[in-house]
Amino acid sequence: MERRDFIRKSFLYGAVAGLGTSALGSFTPALAGLRPHITKGNYDLAAVRGTDLVAMFESAMQEMGGMSQWVKPGQTVVVKPNIGWDVIPDRAANTNPELVGAVVRHCLQAGASRVTVFDHTCDNWRRSYENSGIEKAARDAGARIVPGNFERNYRDITIPGAVRLKDAKVHEQILENDVFINVPVLKHHSSTRLTIAMKNLMGIVWDRRYWHRNDLNQCIADFCLYRKPDLNIVDAMLVMTRNGPRGTSTADLVRKNSLLVSSDIVAVDAASAMIFGEEPANVGHLAIAERMNIGNLDLTKLNIQRVYM
Amino acid sequence: MLLRHLRKIRIILSLLIFAFLLLFFMNVHGRIVDPVAEFLLRLQFFPSLLRFTAIAFAASSLGFLLILLITLLFGRVYCSSICPLGTLQDFFIALGKRLKPKKKRRFVYTSNRKFIIRYSLLAATLLFWVFGSLFLLNLLDPYSNFGKISVTLIQPVFTKGVNVLSGLLERLDLFFITPFLKQSLPLDVIAVSVGILGVIMTMSIWRGRLFCNSLCPVGSILGLVSTRSVYRLAFKDEACTFCGKCEKVCKAECLDSKNKTVDMSRCISCFNCFASCSNNGLYYENAYSGKKQLVKVDIEDKTRNEKRAFFLTLAGGVMSLPLLKKFAKAQVEPGKAGMVPTGTSLPVTPPGSISHDHFTGKCIACYLCVGACPTNVIVPSFFDYGLEGFMQPKLDYHKSFCNFDCTRCTEVCPTGAITKLDRSTKHITQIGIAKFLYESCVVTVDRTDCGACSEHCPTKAVKMVPYNGLWLPEMEPDLCIGCGACEYACPTEPYKAIFVESNSVHQEAIPLGEDHGPRDHEKDEFPF
Repeated sequence: MERRDFIRKSFLYGAVAGLGTSALGSFTPALAGLRPHITKGNYDLAAVRGTDLVAMFESAMQEMGGMSQWVKPGQTVVVKPNIGWDVIPDRAANTNPELVGAVVRHCLQAGASRVTVFDHTCDNWRRSYENSGIEKAARDAGARIVPGNFERNYRDITIPGAVRLKDAKVHEQILENDVFINVPVLKHHSSTRLTIAMKNLMGIVWDRRYWHRNDLNQCIADFCLYRKPDLNIVDAMLVMTRNGPRGTSTADLVRKNSLLVSSDIVAVDAASAMIFGEEPANVGHLAIAERMNIGNLDLTKLNIQRVYM
Repeated sequence: MLLRHLRKIRIILSLLIFAFLLLFFMNVHGRIVDPVAEFLLRLQFFPSLLRFTAIAFAASSLGFLLILLITLLFGRVYCSSICPLGTLQDFFIALGKRLKPKKKRRFVYTSNRKFIIRYSLLAATLLFWVFGSLFLLNLLDPYSNFGKISVTLIQPVFTKGVNVLSGLLERLDLFFITPFLKQSLPLDVIAVSVGILGVIMTMSIWRGRLFCNSLCPVGSILGLVSTRSVYRLAFKDEACTFCGKCEKVCKAECLDSKNKTVDMSRCISCFNCFASCSNNGLYYENAYSGKKQLVKVDIEDKTRNEKRAFFLTLAGGVMSLPLLKKFAKAQVEPGKAGMVPTGTSLPVTPPGSISHDHFTGKCIACYLCVGACPTNVIVPSFFDYGLEGFMQPKLDYHKSFCNFDCTRCTEVCPTGAITKLDRSTKHITQIGIAKFLYESCVVTVDRTDCGACSEHCPTKAVKMVPYNGLWLPEMEPDLCIGCGACEYACPTEPYKAIFVESNSVHQEAIPLGEDHGPRDHEKDEFPF
């Protein structure tokens, strides 16, 4: 991005934000991507090890200062788990349904007026929603679950400053809700090495083929310039260490028994990568994200709370 | 008297059967709809007969025998009540009554001399079948046509309606109606369905159940049986006053009220005549009870001609069919290699369909699988199988792929063209093999990572291997089941860099390894 361009856009977005319209008031578009290391909560990142995923999540949120740090009473929340595949929870190709349920409950307890859950699935969406267990868990917890596989629900957006992904179609739920919570599962990925929080955002856009065709890793990083989730909660309990991202059996899984929480999407991916056993800088889109100043790849600079349960 | 109520019973029964089948074809499922509709599918004549030839002696494939038995007892109850296309024609007949001027609303008995065509067509249809082509059967069979009309014309309107409604509700933040993911069907297929519907509609508005007594192969077969049925319609000489009311309501045009005869080969047992007669001048007669009141007119004269026509067609057909076979085969063989960068001239057939020959030899092209497929990967073909497999379904990986765990098409197919597979058998049923085109891949051409193919592959037959700091797809064909997930996901245009080549005989893929469960992780400390 040219400096002049940057200044012009900064003024533009400053002005728009300043108007404080209800639609844009809660967003930090584009500019957020250029302000590194802004994190909410008591710590930059909380990491918990244990055997009870829901208890681990509750512990992590307690350490971070509670969901009320992110969700204010009356706000609407969109929760984006990974529901990409038509497989059962034991296969850990999708986010653990109980974790999704717990996230929804915390949001409602914090006073959220509405929590919406969706994903643009890879396998058939009805089967994925159902067999992942996430539809039921989210509903039981009080969320509504909406379709993500219909083009009519997607809106055109542009991404200022992007290198390859200059425009995209984003799901309306991302545009309409006040708070965006990303709940990915840590997995091996055939082409991006890992799929965690940044890669999970491919499930909120319409045309994924464009990303694959136009430098996948760069597109993943570019998209964070548009909208970073307010909070990332990574399920690293059962980790698929090979044959990802779909997996072929439970033999592809390793019990890493971990959960990570952070507002910094790059930091949480970096920490997850290390739990996986991969050097963060070796993951293409993480290296690019660090260069583009989207978040912090260097964990030594962060204030991390580690909990062993 | 009971006979007068038969018409009402027939109407209620036919409407119920029609409704259940239509709901099933619209993909509306439930605890009542599913078992009832599945039972009704077993009763459809040619699907059941085809199933019999595919699966042989199973309770599920003996429906056609039951129909023959019912016909032998009571006449063509099948045509008036069980056949969904018959009921559809009744709708058109009712519509026609409203459209026509009063005088033309009545039916008139027609002699059956012209109906040589009927048995010639039946003979030709059966001959085509014997020589391996269901071309004529799939054009003429009533159940097949009901299915085609339902799936290609009614279902799109239905799903569109549901989707528009759910879209409007979404604007109000209501999400309780689940929209359907449906792809639009090819125009040529829709055009054929519209043509079939047009012919049937015109015929029924013009002359009642003319289709059933001229073109329909089931009508012709059951017509032959019903001339020998135990209970037959007959005039009661002492009660009939020659008023002719029965003739006017006879939509099969088989009642001759002047001569007091009934052409049982055309009577579809609709019972309109019973209901119309105020003097009880018609009754059901046991033709084998000794007192032969039944009038045997026509039958002698007619059958001789029919038989002649039947055998003439048979002979002509035997001579000409090898030619048709040859023509069809020429279409199927993958010729002109290199002209098309990807793709295969052989279509992929659904899992469970055993082989191209099995599938094209058994599929009646009712499109039940097309409508039921949750991923819409099964679509009607046109000439992809050649003339002999005209319009039979195929798998199209351009807009979708076959879901790994799904066995829906194998569950619904009524003819045995797609045999039932359990999930674990489906997992190793290789319907085709993916071919990777190195020179066309994003990774080799653009030098950026992609891997969409491997990402979607459920068996990891497409795996990624190191390649100049990137990751390149590599095929392990023995693991591939040909589901098309890779082809669908591949982002290259206009041709895919990976595509499935059909197995003309389905093979067995190597099963995925034993599921040992997750491995344990030793380290307790965080690595950061």
